[in-house]
Amino acid sequence: MTLFLQQFVNGIALGSVYSLVALGLTLVYGVLKVPNFAHGALYMAGAYVSYVMLTSFGASYIVAMAVSVVVLAVLGGSMEWLVFRRLEGKTPVHSMIAALGLLFFMEGTADVIWGPTFRQVPTPFDGVVTLLGVNITEQRILVIVAAVVTMVGLYLLLKRTLVGMSIEAMAQDREGALLVGIDTRRVALLTFAISGALAAVAGSLIAPLLLVFPNMGELIILKAFVIVILGGMGSVPGAILGGYLLALAETMAGTYVSFAFSELIAFGLLVLVLVIRPTGLFQKGV
Amino acid sequence: MPEPMLELKGVSVQFGTFLALRQVSVSVAEGEIVVLLGANGAGKSTLFRAVSGLERPSEGTIHFDGQDISRLAAHRIVREGVAHAPEGKHLFTEASVRKNLLLGAYVRRKDPAGVQESMEEVFDLFPMLRAKAGDAAGTLSGGQQQMLSIGRALMARPRLLLLDEPSLGLAPLVVEEVFESILEINRRGTAVFLAEQNAHAALKVAKRGYVIESGSVAIEGDRDTLVDNPEVRRAYIGV
Repeated sequence: MTLFLQQFVNGIALGSVYSLVALGLTLVYGVLKVPNFAHGALYMAGAYVSYVMLTSFGASYIVAMAVSVVVLAVLGGSMEWLVFRRLEGKTPVHSMIAALGLLFFMEGTADVIWGPTFRQVPTPFDGVVTLLGVNITEQRILVIVAAVVTMVGLYLLLKRTLVGMSIEAMAQDREGALLVGIDTRRVALLTFAISGALAAVAGSLIAPLLLVFPNMGELIILKAFVIVILGGMGSVPGAILGGYLLALAETMAGTYVSFAFSELIAFGLLVLVLVIRPTGLFQKGV
Repeated sequence: MPEPMLELKGVSVQFGTFLALRQVSVSVAEGEIVVLLGANGAGKSTLFRAVSGLERPSEGTIHFDGQDISRLAAHRIVREGVAHAPEGKHLFTEASVRKNLLLGAYVRRKDPAGVQESMEEVFDLFPMLRAKAGDAAGTLSGGQQQMLSIGRALMARPRLLLLDEPSLGLAPLVVEEVFESILEINRRGTAVFLAEQNAHAALKVAKRGYVIESGSVAIEGDRDTLVDNPEVRRAYIGV
């Protein structure tokens, strides 16, 4: 039982990061129909910005994360402005290839700046809390709480503000959005900026638990695609639920079956869902 | 004749090698109801899309209130006072009726009191929308969606309303209801430019109109001229 609880908490922590990454991906897909593989690079860049702030500038963890969020919002927005805006009206393949190109370009850039070395990110939250026999590192608690806070913030932004309403409107009907007077280019830029900020939160949260390296975004972006397809392309609740479910399934399989098996789950599920229910398990609805 | 509020001069719209509109010149004056008759694919929707900025004319000018709007972005044109209830409606189907209306007033977001007032006006015009305010737009019937589409356009408090085939796919009784509301909208001071295939219904409310064929204006005139025109009678009234 203690083992189960322990793994459950670990799964929820991992799921928090999966969900945050999947959220950024699904938002951009929902609004712009761009399958943004480069989102994995934004996540990686978010982790590096926090790493640099913590190690070179001696910033506090919270400040490092805040700087990372701002930098990545700008980076995400620039991605839209410099690349995807110019591909408007082209085939979806153009955007997809551009996104893949950006992913490898940014990974290459990180490699040039920091080298292929795995970096350890320090965290002030290195204590351990014991609850019902379960050991939880403070960093994991922070991951879980910060993810929930971010998700609630995103929810309020989407549902309660005019900016959020314009994002939803554009996701549902781009032409309708134009006709009511929404500047769809501005919304596109904003959506990419929000997506970058979400990637920064995810990357900064996970950095102290894993190692930071140039290709760290590759596996997680593929898993985020699994989650987004599982949850219904463009669906916000689908991305959140899907992220937690996938992480829990992986963690449990790794504990009770074998670690090798856990890595099979995501992609096995992906193929299964695509064959059986290509529209995803949840109804679309930002 | 006073200076027209909307004036298209020699407007052409090209899709690749296909000329969807050829040198079209039409106008709508303040407070008028003008009908644009034409068959499917004649260019009615393209003309409206050019006015509201969804298509760029390859030549010609579009003036609204004396300002050339033919190069303005679509979201700017709404602010100038032109609202478009488009073909296919383009509602936000997963959002509630109320949210659709609120989004319709996006350009007036700095004036929440005025927006509430407009919402009441739209509810008075289409009481059904008030009853369904909390329902997702996608769950409404065809006629109800048409009313929501018109209501959403009205929320921008336009001086000119472009209505693209509001009778399309509706039962005769509902068509009558929609046209009643068009008259009411016009009585409240909004000019209406109406694209229709249903000339019978449209010519009851419009005083003037144009017939568009293969992208060009073929016939124009006041209601009587159009009703008496043998070609209009044969093609659009079915007499």
